Formats: sequence, C-alpha cells, structure tokens
Amino acid sequence: MTLHQSEAIVLRTWPLRESDLLVSLLTRDLGKVRGVAKAALKSRKRFGGALEPMTYVDAAYAERPRQELVRMDHFEAIASPLALPIDYLRAATLGYYAEVLENVLPDHDPQDAIFRLTLAVLEQSQVGRCWMPVTYFSLWITRLIGWLPETDRCTECGQNFAGEAAYFHGLTDGLSCARHKKPNSSALGVDSLALAQRMLRDSICAMSEEPWTRQSGRDLRRFLVRTLERHTERRLNSAEVFSRMGG
Amino acid sequence: MSRFAQPLTQLIDELSKLPGIGRKSAQRLAFHILRATEQDAFALADAIRDLKAQLHLCSICHNITDVDPCQFCSNPSRNQAIICVVEEPSNIASIERTKHFNGAYHVLHGTLSPLNGIGPDQLRIDSLVERVQAGSLQEVILATNPTVEGEATAGYLLQLLRGTPVRITRIATGIPAGADIEYADEVTMTRAMEGRREL
Ligand SMILES: [Zn+2]
Ligand SMILES: [Zn+2]
Repeated sequence: MTLHQSEAIVLRTWPLRESDLLVSLLTRDLGKVRGVAKAALKSRKRFGGALEPMTYVDAAYAERPRQELVRMDHFEAIASPLALPIDYLRAATLGYYAEVLENVLPDHDPQDAIFRLTLAVLEQSQVGRCWMPVTYFSLWITRLIGWLPETDRCTECGQNFAGEAAYFHGLTDGLSCARHKKPNSSALGVDSLALAQRMLRDSICAMSEEPWTRQSGRDLRRFLVRTLERHTERRLNSAEVFSRMGG
Repeated sequence: MSRFAQPLTQLIDELSKLPGIGRKSAQRLAFHILRATEQDAFALADAIRDLKAQLHLCSICHNITDVDPCQFCSNPSRNQAIICVVEEPSNIASIERTKHFNGAYHVLHGTLSPLNGIGPDQLRIDSLVERVQAGSLQEVILATNPTVEGEATAGYLLQLLRGTPVRITRIATGIPAGADIEYADEVTMTRAMEGRREL
C-alpha cells in the first residue's frame, strides 16, 4: 500500500453502494486517479464539503496493490467553488472543466501545466465573468493535450489567413482558408483568430482585464468544443448549456 | 449465449439496472429470489407492480402520492400560501420530521445539472412559475441542497420569480447542530456568519 498526500482537484463523483462515492480526482502527483470514498455521504468528518466538483483539495489517498481504484482517505478543501456565489452559467462552467478533464486526460499521467491551468481558470470563473476563462481553458487544454491545429494558416495550402476568416468542419482536423474550406464548414472570424493568438501569448490575468460578453470568441469556443468532442468521441453535456445561453 | 436459462438472465438484466447493483450482485439477488418461497417472490413482484400502478405524481406539487391532490396540497389546515421547493420527494420527509413547517411543497425532481445534461426543461419549473403567477402565494422557500447544482438551481428560480410580489427565501446553511466551530470548514463558517440572525 502506498500512501499519498497531494494537492488535487475533485472532478466528479458517482454514488456507489450505500453511502460510498466513486471519485474521479485530478492529483498533482499522480495525475487523474479514481477511487472510493467510503461512507462519504454519511460522515462529513473526512471529506466535509470537499467532494463537490472542482473543489481544490489537499487529498490523502492510498494506492492498493493490484487494484485499479485507490482508497480515498481524507480531503481538506483549499478552495471551494461554494465560497463564491453560483448561478447557472457558473455551475455549467465548473461542470465543463470537470467533464473535459475527465474525458481527455488518461489515468495516472501527471501534467503539471494542466493542473496549473485548471487552478488559474477556476480562480477567474466567477458569476458574470465566466466566458473568458471558459474560452481560455478550452484553447489551452486543446493545445496542451496536443489537438490544437495551427491557428494562423490553412492546413491544406499553408497560406497565412492574413486578416481573413478561417473555416472549420466538425468531422476533420484543422482550419482552412476560404479557398479550401469543405462544404458546410463554419467560419472562425478574424477577431476570434486574433483572440486565440493573444490567449496563447498572454496570461489569464492579462486577459481578464478585457471586457467580455457572451458573443466574445463564441465561434472560437464552438470550434474548440467540436475539436475536443471529435477527439474524445464524446459529447460535452455542459457545453450545451453554453449554446443554449447564446454563448 | 447466456449461461443461464432465459427467465433468470432476464431477471439479472433487470436487477443490474438498479443503482449500485453490478452484474455480480444482480446474479446473487436473482438466485436468492429463485430460492425464495413462491409467496415471498410473488410478494416482491406485486409490491413493484403496485408501486407503479398506484403511485403517481401529485398534479399540483409533483410529490409522489396515491391520491391526487396529495395529502399536503389537499389539507385545509396547512398554509397553502407558503410553498417549500425541494429537489426530491424524499426531502419532504426530512422537513416533515421537524414538525416546524405547515405549508405546502413543490418537488422539482432534480437540480440543474450541466454535467448530466439536465436543464430547466427537465425539471418541474414551469408549473412552479404557474403556481406563483396564479397569485395566491405569499412565500416561496427555496430548499434545494447547498451544493453547486442546488445553489445554481436556487439562483435560477430566484431570477425567474424575482419581480413577482411573492416573498422568495432560501433555507439557512451553516454549522450543524451539535458540531464544534473549531472543525467547521471555511465555506460552512462563512455561510454561518452570513446567515446569522438577531436575538
Ligand atoms: Zn488553403
Ligand atoms: Zn401535492
């Protein structure tokens, strides 16, 4: 048995038998692990309110020989999403981070850049200002996982978009110029292409100074969500809320 | 091909759809039922059939009931001008145990859950708005859980109902009775401070 003590982010929980929960946890030391939190629904002593999705915790857990599931022993919340007001969009934003990380990350593969990205966007995801961190997270997670195509040139001919819109298609990789776009492609506007460049260059703190509405970077978000969904071959439920809210 | 006779396989299939029951447990339960007396096995089958045949949702509050309207909605000694909004029918029992609430209820049957693809259309929200708009209510108590999804749902309902003359309140959250402040986490302590009341 190997005992671990690590910073971690709770991704999701599922009810198991009785009052046990199955927990998916993004740990800093081991990457994503799954394990059982025994009696989590009955006793608040060991987990308190720290099992809510996207709670940043100090987690104690144990790897057991020849067992895929770890044993979750004790979580202490470092930062809880419940510490700040919550509305439907913020709940969807938190759910989106959890769903994306759950779907794209392999188990037991620690990636510190992704852990830091997640902490950074969590801090920025507050009521009334979620669209920016959602976009920033979508862009960077796609890049860090290695699925982001070139955002400044056409995948077909290599020509720079040079102030023109780019086009993407739900079933294929990459961005195309107007000449090489496939039928039924969607456009990625000039503003959004420039926004993507800025986001890849600047810190999230710098981005948070800019004014944002639900329209800002909407086509970029849709492109990134499609990219994530296509690679994982899974729909992102929480991203549907973004579309429904016009973002 | 299945290892078991068809009726047994079918029972195992059905049982393994239950929450927390895996294939192995389903098999164990199925064999238990197979070994049980005919009387016991049929009693179980009847109980399941009766549950679905006799229970339905109250047409006013969506509580599970065998009469319509339910015992709370049809009781003239309860204050029908105050309704307490809960996530699940099972929450009503917890509130009733306190014997401190004498109003009516409204059951949403869930919370907004972006992760699970549950939006406002899947919850009993429209009928709540209709009850408020009907005009005879004084207060709506939002008693969803103090979780991310419960809070998001309460916030969503508040947005919808704001602007109506009805008083909208949220249940208090904070230190559990009998607990020690020393062991309260930050969120709980903050909530307890925010929700303090005049003595
Ligand atoms: Zn081209
Ligand atoms: Zn009723």
